[in-house]
This record gives sequence, structure tokens and C-alpha cells, in this order.
Amino acid sequence: MNLSKAAAIVGAAEAVEIGYPEEPRTSLQLHIEAIKAVSEQTGIPISAIDGIFSAGWSSELAEHLGIHPRYIDTTSVGGCSFEMHVHHALLAIFAGVIDVALVSHGQNGWSARRLGGASRGGDASAPGTQMSMPYGFSGAPSNYSHAMVRHNHRFGTTPEDFAHVAVVTRQWATLNPRAVMHSKETHEFGGPITVDDVNNSRMISWPLTLLHCCLVTDHGGAVLIARPEIARSLRTTPVWIAGAAENMSHANMLEMEDFTATSAFASGRAAYKMAGLGPDDMELALLYDSFTLTAAMTAEMLGLAPRGEGYKLWKDGHAAPGGRLPINTNGGGLSFNHSGMYGMHLLVEAYRQLSGTAEDGVNGIEGKQTNAMTCIVNGTGGSLSTTGTLVLVAD
Amino acid sequence: MAYNKPLPKPSPLTQPFWDGAKAGKFLLPRCEDCNRVHWYPRHICPFCHSMSIQWIEASGEGRIHTYAVQFRAFGGWAEDTPFVTAYIDLAEGDRMATVLRGVDASRPESISIGAKVKVEFEAASDDIHIPFFRVVEESAS
Repeated sequence: MNLSKAAAIVGAAEAVEIGYPEEPRTSLQLHIEAIKAVSEQTGIPISAIDGIFSAGWSSELAEHLGIHPRYIDTTSVGGCSFEMHVHHALLAIFAGVIDVALVSHGQNGWSARRLGGASRGGDASAPGTQMSMPYGFSGAPSNYSHAMVRHNHRFGTTPEDFAHVAVVTRQWATLNPRAVMHSKETHEFGGPITVDDVNNSRMISWPLTLLHCCLVTDHGGAVLIARPEIARSLRTTPVWIAGAAENMSHANMLEMEDFTATSAFASGRAAYKMAGLGPDDMELALLYDSFTLTAAMTAEMLGLAPRGEGYKLWKDGHAAPGGRLPINTNGGGLSFNHSGMYGMHLLVEAYRQLSGTAEDGVNGIEGKQTNAMTCIVNGTGGSLSTTGTLVLVAD
Repeated sequence: MAYNKPLPKPSPLTQPFWDGAKAGKFLLPRCEDCNRVHWYPRHICPFCHSMSIQWIEASGEGRIHTYAVQFRAFGGWAEDTPFVTAYIDLAEGDRMATVLRGVDASRPESISIGAKVKVEFEAASDDIHIPFFRVVEESAS
């Protein structure tokens, strides 16, 4: 048996209320709602889960669920952790250690502000932190802006070029009724936007304006992964894990050698190799878009566009509804939902599109936005630090 | 006015750097085996994995690798917005984060990648003097 397709994602579900819930949610509640939903969707009882994967929550979740898993993974290296969990689950299933893996996410990025959230900042005595915390950096935008400036310098790109990523991603959001920015009915600033809107929105960290940045919302999501015999016995449609890989270049942005490149180059290459497929075979791309820049740079790293030209996929309309390579069909972290770690959102959308369980598409296709049979998923975590790449294939 | 921004907590590993800063010296860790300078301070050389690290007095010179203008910040930095952060390629090697001085945050296009900078220290407390970099030659050369 090959590692490629040794397991399938057999279901994917989200918490009851995501986005900006009226009543504040806890992260645990978002986890549990999604887990219950994916169990009901697949018909796999929670008691059959024998491997648990989450970004820091695994022992608490297993105890809460009353299960005694044989494999416990709590990798937490930023928003791409969930793509790594899928990679690890594939390995554990291939090795025969487990049969059914749960990957779970719950994060009340929005509600935490009302419930009293965790404190910011790391250990002030860690050597890397000592050497960056005195300088007024405040969260991801304040660092990612430096990468945009370097990209502009090296390739002659402009912030306006990247604004097209936000505009096109918003087009997708208007097709997704679950998206926070779907319409004026879901959010006062929802509905279509223009490049001018992106340019003229509030400056956060020059050259990044607000609409270059992702949302901060609540999200819970869960996927179940199973070995082929189980996957074929269920009422749901499997989505096969053809390639999976991970990598990292640094943790602290101080150590980012090339501000215009990420480890998605390495994780992408390894995932393609396992799948026996390449960039030209990909019919759908779900690329972590914490910022417009993140998605565009990732497209370059994954060979979907030449270096320095990732933004053109959006600017030239290829990534848009009806384009040759649809990207971020859910509306992305920019306009669908982003709880702080966006990797689970990617997994849920990949499953929905490849299994045909999403909303009916603009082209009249039932249950999906595209005809894609293949999808590349790339999570990016930290300060453009860590990456997890999956090549997924429809049944 | 008293310094009101976040202060690092020195550890045994970094204490020589902060002691140097207090004395107005810009110290960098250099591997005694491969001779390369690294930043931030390590217990082990990240290039050759030697454990023999020494502190050297560096020139305090460098060039802007990239920069950004912060319009949103927390704590004491909030009242300084907009201000310019940058990553500096140090003359002796590797890279350091900073807040740039001698630049106009309202005209970010006037700042050049590659421009020469020089370190200066601000006494934030009795024990912590923080290195900042000032642009000394505006155009990249």
C-alpha cells in the first residue's frame, strides 16, 4: 500500500454559529459543536475516534468527549497546524496505529473580546522575544507589512496589485451565504468591493490597509479522517489525501531570510511528489489568506504562478468565479471567516467542494462552485513561518 | 517623561548584550568556530552548531532590509503612531528588528531599502538601554 491515498477525509463540519455570534461563544463550545456535527454527518460515533489532533486542545477535548485515544497530537505552530494534523493522521493511519482520526478546531477570535481574552505577547525573557518586543510590533499585520514592502521592492509590485486578491475573494464571499461579508444583510460592509475600496480603507500597517487583512471572527470546525475500508463504508463521499507535507523556515520574523518566500515551496514540492501530481494538475486552490500578500506569495511558492506574479491570478480573473483556477471559493479569511488560525476553514471548504456538499455553484453545478477533481490546500502559520500543504483528490 | 513602552527581561544568555548596551556598546554574538555572527542570541550557533559563542563589539552599522509604518499599536507605542519599524541587515551579518529614527513616517516612499543606518541607544530604565537605528545616509548606495 502507498502512503498516498492511504486515508480519506470522510466528513467536515462547522460549529452551529460562526462569524460574529450574538451570544459570546467559548472556544471549547465551538470545538464540541463541530465534532458533534461531523459525527452525525458521517455516522461515525464519537466513541470510534481513536486518534485526536488539535492545536493545543487534544487532552482537554478527549477528556470532555470521554474518549481514550491511542494517538494524541497537539501540534500548534500557527494557522497551518490543521494541514499538519492531516499529514500526521495520514501517517498514523498508514502505520496501522489508528483507524479514525479527528482533527478539531475551536477559536472564539471575536467572542474572546467580550469574554475577556488571553493576554498578548510571548515570554519577555525568551531571547527572540527580547529582541523584537521593544519595537512596537503589534500582531500579524505589523510584521506582514514588511514582507509586502520587500516584495514590492524586489519584483516591482504594488499594494494595488495585491488589492485584487481582496476584490476577487470578496466576489466568492458574495456566493457563500455563510460568509461574514456575503452581503449588506450579513455585515454593514459586506457585498462586492473595488480596488479603490481596498486602497481607501483604514491604514493598519503601511502599506497594508484594513481590507488587505483578514477578519477576526469565531469559528469551530472538525474533520474526520479514516482508512479506505472505513471510508468506503460510510454514507458520505470520501476526499482522498493524495499528498501531504509540512515545513518551516523560521518562527520569529527576525529569522526570515527571504521576505518574499515561504516554506510552502518545500512543503508544496513534497506534497506534489507524494501525489504524483504537479501545479498544472490543480483545478482548485485553497490558499491561506491572512493577508492578500499571503495568498499571492503562496501561489508563487506552489508553482501556480511565476515568482513575483502571484497577484496576476487574481488581477487577470483566473482565480475568480468562472476562472481557470478558482482560489478560495469560500470567500477566504479575508471575507468568509478567520478566527485567528484559518487552517481548519481550508479543510472544511476543500471537503465541501470536492465531495459536492457545498452550496450549488454559480455555473449551475450541484453542490460545488467548480468542476474541480483536484485541490491544493496550503496553510501558513506564524509570521510566514510554517506551512502545511495537502493535495486532495475527489473520489 | 518616563519610558512607557514594553521592556525586555534579560536572561543569562542575553545579559552581556544588555550590559554592553548600558555602556553604549553594540555587542553581537559570534561563533568561535565558523566565525559567523548571528542574531538573536543563541545557546548554539545556528549555522554550524558549535557551542562556542563569544560576544564581539560591532560597528552598529547596517542597511535597511525592509520596513513598514505602524498605524496601530498597543501600550506606550500607541501614542507614537505612525512610526516606522524596520529590519536591518547588520554590517557584521544577520538581521535585527528596530524602530527607525530620522525618517518621516508620513512619507513612507521617501525611505529607501538599502539606506545606511547607525545604532543609538535610549535609556529606557536604569538597566535597559534599547538599541534603535537612525538613517544616516538616505539613498541606497
